[in-house]
Amino acid sequence: MLKTLIRRELLDNLMTFRFAAVLLITLLLVVVNTVVLTQDYEQRLESYNDSVKRHRQDLRNSKTYSTAYLFIDRAPNPLSIFNVGLDKRLGNYIGIYHGFMPTLWDARMHGTDNPFIAFFSSIDIVFVFEVILSLMGLIFAYDAIAGERERGTLRLILAQPIGRGQILLAKYISAMACLLVPLILSLLFALLLLTRSIPLSTADFLRIAGIVLTSFAYLSLFYLIGLLISVATPRTGTALMLAMFVWGFLILVYPNLIRVTVNPGGDIQARVKTAHNQIQQIIDEYERERQKFLENEGIAGETSEFSKALGFYHQADVNPVTLTTYIENMSVISEIRPDFEKYVPVAKRYYNFVLPLATRTVEKAWRIRKQALDEIYVRQARMDRILLKLSPVGIYDDATQAWAGTDLLGLRDFFEAAQRYRKIIIDYLYAKDAFSSREWFVADKGAVDWSTLPQFTFERSDVRTNAKRALPDMFLLLICNLVLFMAIVLIFIKSEV
Amino acid sequence: MWHIAKREIYNNLNSLRFALATALLLGLMLTNAVVHLREHPERVQRYRERVSGHQNNIAAHAESSLYDLAQEGPGYLYKKPSDLRFCAEGSETFMSDRAQAGYHRWSTDTLKSFWILAYPSATPNRDNVRPDVTKVDWGFIIGYVLSLVALLFTFDSISGERERGTLRLTLSNPIPRHTVLIGKFLGAFISVNIPFILAVLVNLLVISTSSGVHLDAEAWGRLGIIFCVAVLYTCLFLALGMLVSARVQRSAVSLVVLLLVWVVFVVFMPSTLASIAGRSTSSGPTYDFSERSWKLHEELSSDYYSRRYKEPEDSTKGIEIDGAYVTKDAEQQEQLHEERLNRRIAEVHRARTITRISPVTIVQNLIESFAGTGFERHLQFLGNVQIYAREFRTFIVDTDNADPESLHIFGVRTGMSQEPISPEAVPKFEDTLNLSKDFNTAAMELLLLTLFVLVLLSGAYLVFVRVEV
Repeated sequence: MLKTLIRRELLDNLMTFRFAAVLLITLLLVVVNTVVLTQDYEQRLESYNDSVKRHRQDLRNSKTYSTAYLFIDRAPNPLSIFNVGLDKRLGNYIGIYHGFMPTLWDARMHGTDNPFIAFFSSIDIVFVFEVILSLMGLIFAYDAIAGERERGTLRLILAQPIGRGQILLAKYISAMACLLVPLILSLLFALLLLTRSIPLSTADFLRIAGIVLTSFAYLSLFYLIGLLISVATPRTGTALMLAMFVWGFLILVYPNLIRVTVNPGGDIQARVKTAHNQIQQIIDEYERERQKFLENEGIAGETSEFSKALGFYHQADVNPVTLTTYIENMSVISEIRPDFEKYVPVAKRYYNFVLPLATRTVEKAWRIRKQALDEIYVRQARMDRILLKLSPVGIYDDATQAWAGTDLLGLRDFFEAAQRYRKIIIDYLYAKDAFSSREWFVADKGAVDWSTLPQFTFERSDVRTNAKRALPDMFLLLICNLVLFMAIVLIFIKSEV
Repeated sequence: MWHIAKREIYNNLNSLRFALATALLLGLMLTNAVVHLREHPERVQRYRERVSGHQNNIAAHAESSLYDLAQEGPGYLYKKPSDLRFCAEGSETFMSDRAQAGYHRWSTDTLKSFWILAYPSATPNRDNVRPDVTKVDWGFIIGYVLSLVALLFTFDSISGERERGTLRLTLSNPIPRHTVLIGKFLGAFISVNIPFILAVLVNLLVISTSSGVHLDAEAWGRLGIIFCVAVLYTCLFLALGMLVSARVQRSAVSLVVLLLVWVVFVVFMPSTLASIAGRSTSSGPTYDFSERSWKLHEELSSDYYSRRYKEPEDSTKGIEIDGAYVTKDAEQQEQLHEERLNRRIAEVHRARTITRISPVTIVQNLIESFAGTGFERHLQFLGNVQIYAREFRTFIVDTDNADPESLHIFGVRTGMSQEPISPEAVPKFEDTLNLSKDFNTAAMELLLLTLFVLVLLSGAYLVFVRVEV
């Protein structure tokens, strides 16, 4: 009996105009946007490759350790085509040196140099699905029960020896089978277009599978919302109106209303100020120790002969707004004058003392800064995300971002790798005794050999981590689905035909 | 005709959609007003503080000497925030709210570079990890929500009557078809606009009665124009709804068609076109600019040193060479900055032309230009800044000419007037908004929108006249 019902429903749904229209529009939108997004990705990749090449060249041109330009670049994530998240928005290259902690907040941007372009909003495939799938679900569901009730066929079916729950199940299964056709078909087209120019790994395919699964749960949720409306309202006209307004509210209005939320972090400026003072104290401490060393050596004063001999450039500062902390110790000279040669041992001692000190200082400052930034930016973002989850769009967006690895955690992975790389570089410098070497400040006895420098590599987190990050949201979607389905069954059982 | 319109209105007023639309629009407009009241006074306050800080800065340099003023320049110039920012956010966060009329690059033992006009860019995205959202401004409410409401009010206006059979009844009376169509259009038009007007009134009531925000006569005029644009825009979607409703047999099908058209044209077209437009910009990376700037400066300075070398330290000829070097360098660098700005602007203009195919972009651009926010307004601000920079330089030249002790050689301390000047005499920068200029940029878009409405309306008429009942 269930089979017959499903078959009837399936045929009913497949032969309609709305199915054809929805299929056509979904295919059109996904294909067009995939083409646009693929080209966009290729452009970003090209810019990334250029930047990497340029940074390598810059490093090779650096003769001394202290004036070295070591930059690392963040490659664009191919899955940003599905959900762009923060991938395009945050900075994509960052400097690595001992006196600076590379973080997400200090990264800079290569690529387009036109800042105005940022106000053209960008799009991704998940956005297309967010809008289209929800609309599809509602359009297919609003008359599922109300329509049959109006036409009187509902009575006819109920006269058969079949449970009401089974009728709902049959309707659900057949409609979902129908709705999956545009979803799967458009995704296949998208993948076909994608893999022609972008090589995807097996892990990427698994991630995409995760996105598809999430899309499926999202679609089903909206179908159930439509079904609930259909069961609860006596007429199709009313059901349709309600469904449309619910859609407008959940998709269009609610996600944009969260801007109204007050910042939970309290007074931002006061928070930044206290952190700034704390970091300033750490830097002052560093400066005191440095001065003490200089006095002990009898070379104090920035305008002394010692500084002149080294072409000395020193700066230790914390930005009062972004709290970026950096300590630069550089010697900008191409050779040492013979009468200044006596300063070479002093310079070696100086650098050997001050560089480890600077390294420790910025690490200490980073602990304070991290806490402050988490309170200022991250907590606010997290609050927004939680509020967004009151709409299925928010859950869907979060879960797909986690799958694609373009969420905050995914991007933090990169910057954590950058911080690890900084450690590796420092260890390498220690191993080579670079801090107390002549090559640190002058290249007259031969330039630094960069060929043995450890290379930076970054692998996106493995699929299991992605899954772990996406799982809570997927679970939430599933629970919503189940609760809704139970509510529908209850209402339907109790309703009079 | 009025009969039909009246019947439509009565029908609509009692319906569920009317209640829902009213609630939705009212809620959105109230939120909009509350957010504006929370943010705007702070914005205005900050602007005032910065401007007075800037005046003090100028005064300090002016009281020191003319050379100092001429070398330092006026400093940061700030963009005046629009009182109508609640109408259109206009991507203001992506545009810097200031221009830097005092950008220094180098100094040597004897010389200091002169100020140039630079255009800092805003990068709000770099540390923004919050989810992407559109601000709930009038542009959003009108562009997205109101257009959807307009479709929901018209999708069954003809097909619904045909289904119920009442259309035949109406047409059997001695009234021409176009009268029926116009009557229905008027009915839908009025019933969509009632909730909208209500929401707008509540919004304006909240905003204008609060003490923190002051709207002057011009602002009210601008609000009037924005309202008219909104009404014209609703007509577009009403006409579209009628057209599809007349053509399609069943109202369910009509709604599906309309929704899909709406989704394509309103939701996706702006973003997709923007992606295409953003891609078409192929400006060189930032380092090309700094390299060029550095190279120009290098060439100039090597030429300078080779010539300066031959002249004695304090000779007039030497000072002249110094002055020529400094002024030429400032001129070159400023030109470079301006060229880059112009290239960027040209790119955005090209991108905006592409996105103009979508009606929602048109209406949002229109609201932006009348609300005094957005890109066109930014260009106006930059224009004002450039005019002021010229004025400032003329003032320096004139004051220097008036001093008989000065050598009239610009760019060097010893070549210029050392007299302090009264801060009042220095020209002040005032950022102004000009409605007639706004109207010029908006005229094309207004015409385009009107054209769309007329095409759709006549389409609806033709279809309805020919259709079989």
